[in-house]
Amino acid sequence: MSLATDSRRSPSTASSPLRRGRIPAGFVVLAALGVALVALPLLGLVLRTPWSRIGEILASETALTALRLSLIVATTSAAISFVLGFPLAWVLVRGTFPGKTLVRAVVILPLVMPPVVAGVGLLAAFGRRSGLVGSWLYDWFGIQLTFTTAAAVLAATFVSFPLAVLALEAGLRGLDERLEDAAATLGASRWYVLRRVTVPLMGPQIAAALVLSWARALGEFGATITFAGNLQGRTQTLPLAVFEQLQTDTDAAFAVSMLLIFLAFAVILGLRGRFLR
Amino acid sequence: MRKNLILATSAVLLLAACSDSNDDETTGTTGAGGGSGGAEAELTVSAASSLTEAFGKIGNAFEAANPDTTVTFNFGPSDGLAGQIDEGAPVDVFASASPTWMDSVQDDGPGVTDRADFAQNRLAIIAPADNPAGIENLDDLTEDGVQLVIAAEGVPAGDYAREIFKNAGISMAALANVVSNEEDVKAVIAKVMSGEADAGIGYVTDVTPDVSDHVTLIPIPDEVNIIATYPIAVVNGSQEADLAQGFVEYVLGDGQQTLAEYGFLPPP
Amino acid sequence: MTLAVDVTSRRGAFEVRAAFEAEAGRTVALLGPNGSGKSTLVSTIAGLVPPVEGAITLDEAVLDDPANDVHVQPERRPIGVVFQDLLLFPHLSAMDNAAFPLRARGVTKPEARQRASELLARLGLANRADARPRELSGGEAQRVALARALIVEPALLLLDEPLSALDVAARMRVRELVRDELARFPGVRIIVTHDPVEASILAERLVLLEDGRVTQIGTPEEIRSAPRSRYAADLVGVNAVRGFLEPIGEGTGRLISSEGALVTPWPEWYVEGDVVGIVRPIDVTLGPDRPEGSARNVLFGRVTSVAIEGDRARVRLATAPPLVAEVTLGSVERLGLRSGVEVWASFKAVEVELLPP
Repeated sequence: MSLATDSRRSPSTASSPLRRGRIPAGFVVLAALGVALVALPLLGLVLRTPWSRIGEILASETALTALRLSLIVATTSAAISFVLGFPLAWVLVRGTFPGKTLVRAVVILPLVMPPVVAGVGLLAAFGRRSGLVGSWLYDWFGIQLTFTTAAAVLAATFVSFPLAVLALEAGLRGLDERLEDAAATLGASRWYVLRRVTVPLMGPQIAAALVLSWARALGEFGATITFAGNLQGRTQTLPLAVFEQLQTDTDAAFAVSMLLIFLAFAVILGLRGRFLR
Repeated sequence: MRKNLILATSAVLLLAACSDSNDDETTGTTGAGGGSGGAEAELTVSAASSLTEAFGKIGNAFEAANPDTTVTFNFGPSDGLAGQIDEGAPVDVFASASPTWMDSVQDDGPGVTDRADFAQNRLAIIAPADNPAGIENLDDLTEDGVQLVIAAEGVPAGDYAREIFKNAGISMAALANVVSNEEDVKAVIAKVMSGEADAGIGYVTDVTPDVSDHVTLIPIPDEVNIIATYPIAVVNGSQEADLAQGFVEYVLGDGQQTLAEYGFLPPP
Repeated sequence: MTLAVDVTSRRGAFEVRAAFEAEAGRTVALLGPNGSGKSTLVSTIAGLVPPVEGAITLDEAVLDDPANDVHVQPERRPIGVVFQDLLLFPHLSAMDNAAFPLRARGVTKPEARQRASELLARLGLANRADARPRELSGGEAQRVALARALIVEPALLLLDEPLSALDVAARMRVRELVRDELARFPGVRIIVTHDPVEASILAERLVLLEDGRVTQIGTPEEIRSAPRSRYAADLVGVNAVRGFLEPIGEGTGRLISSEGALVTPWPEWYVEGDVVGIVRPIDVTLGPDRPEGSARNVLFGRVTSVAIEGDRARVRLATAPPLVAEVTLGSVERLGLRSGVEVWASFKAVEVELLPP
């Protein structure tokens, strides 16, 4: 702590462009394969979308309702993930308590869980008949969570929460805590430090957390259909609408899929300039 | 050490995730493999979900009668199955819960041969074992607050349910109580069995021995009920046309007893 | 106004024990080598690391008293700290950095910015108010950090290694500025440094810190004339040996330290306890053979380093105790003095000056 360090300010280094001959042989090929893996299905979708009909399909009540519902569910879910995830990330990064590793593993688990399993788990916790908490809610207050928009939000939050926590953890870890110490000595209360130092310095990571969890929530299917059900206007989010359309009108399925992709793209690109590096 | 444990657990779960069935269409059961040696023939049969138990037994019997044959089933909602066939899925036999989707394969798809109706089915109201909402007839489904689950439009069970409501003159009120449109009739049964739904419309055959302890079956009066006709056919382009025809004939012949055991009605 | 510090503070496995007072109007410098505990002490005074024992008071206000569960949070202490790494907020401009303490206390934005820009102007940064910290030169950043600490007119100003990160040219300029600001600051002033020159120029009193302990407190002159530890002596450039005395008769004594013994005159005032023996390097004679003569201190050892300074050389010896001798360049040549060579060193008993600790 008492080592004299060179605190001279050097201009922030922009990422150096890859110099010729510095990329290991074969990496370019592998990298191209990786891009192809992701790009080809997208390309397939673009080519099969019935562009002449797309306006009519997307203006349909099914599509618009699903869109509105998806936006509400995904945004609410991302907000909940942030409000609960930030304090959790804080505790995980800066706190010490027994069983911390276990807690962290549990929180990350939904990320690797099959979504349908997640749905079954949500039923086991919040179902009105056999749910741990759900049955109590139903028997005592008459509150039923299944088949509601709240259930769709719950399902979406469950699967996207780990993403928010991971991104926020990374952000907190990358902070120089001494800046917060300095702020304290300058008279800032803990809340003021959080508002004016910690969060601003974490801007990019907070944006990443929000974007990632929002996008994941937007695309959630398995847990939603298992736990929340499928009803237009209440629980039929865009992925559920796509699935239903796939059975009967594949053109419509492609069109709505394109909509989903545009949404995700728009958010990712829109924030790229300002926040994401 | 701990890190490795977490990685290992994640890897196991990831592998489990790879076998996740988001789409309900591949809940098929593979028949026991045929005897060793000889050219093994594989038959792929797409059948409506309501046929799961009956066809499972029929498949085993067919394999026993035809050594070196393996029957692989693809159970799902008839509309989805038809869609798959139209998109080129390599299916040999298609058994649908309604003529509509067989027509679709015939007219918009690769076409069929040896089409025949092989069974009929009735629909019923299905409620959880303890029937918390006290459903006794169709009219009870219109009560305020009843959580009703039916199959989606396009799925035969869903179309039939809607027709029944129309026949009984309770469409508006009943549909207002629908809280979820499931992708196939088995999902409807599942939601009812778990107690999350107060009632659902399914086939009488869906109350199998395994299920009967968990549900209550409330019959629908014949005047308003739908008798569903199930057609079966060989899909054109099948690589095992002869074997497929044999399966169709089996279903129409020896298979009828099995179907009757599971509650299906004979074809018209 | 007086800051009274008497604490034991721990950071990890490292423990610092320090007791000293700082009055308004006389700058105190905490001077010590790296690793001596200066930063831990700064953190404790700032309130970031509560002491495990002792107390810190500012006049009547008790800032720390662990025995009675008293610990005033850093944000409530009337202090202004300039940290070793400056720790300017990278996401704020110079002006907003300087205004931060005011805004944190609820001062309105316009007023805070007004006062900040006035202070920055006084420090010569009027045209850099909107620059981000990464755009500032070392000296400019230093001044912004200073402004940030001064703006609330705290009762205590704490500067941790204020000049160490600057290059030589900037250092001289900023040192002048720091001296001016310190002079006009009415409260308690403490600077922390490892550079004795800096300490002597900027402070009126020095508190020497070594290995977590205070070894001497005094004005630069007092320390120069009577260094009481190896470090202090090194600073001043003399040999210092600390130990207890044993009489060996005839007005002489033996100074016994953990590293070796010297023969010294016997002081009248000695009763018991530690003393410090000072030997000036110029009084240490080096030779190739065991010297004959009356010198009572004769030691043999290896040369560990030879440092040429002008027309003299300072030779470090791994004798018991270790010594520094000052010889002519001619002697270096004649004796073939270089690292690894073994020589005899000698000096008289009277050439050891004894000081009470």
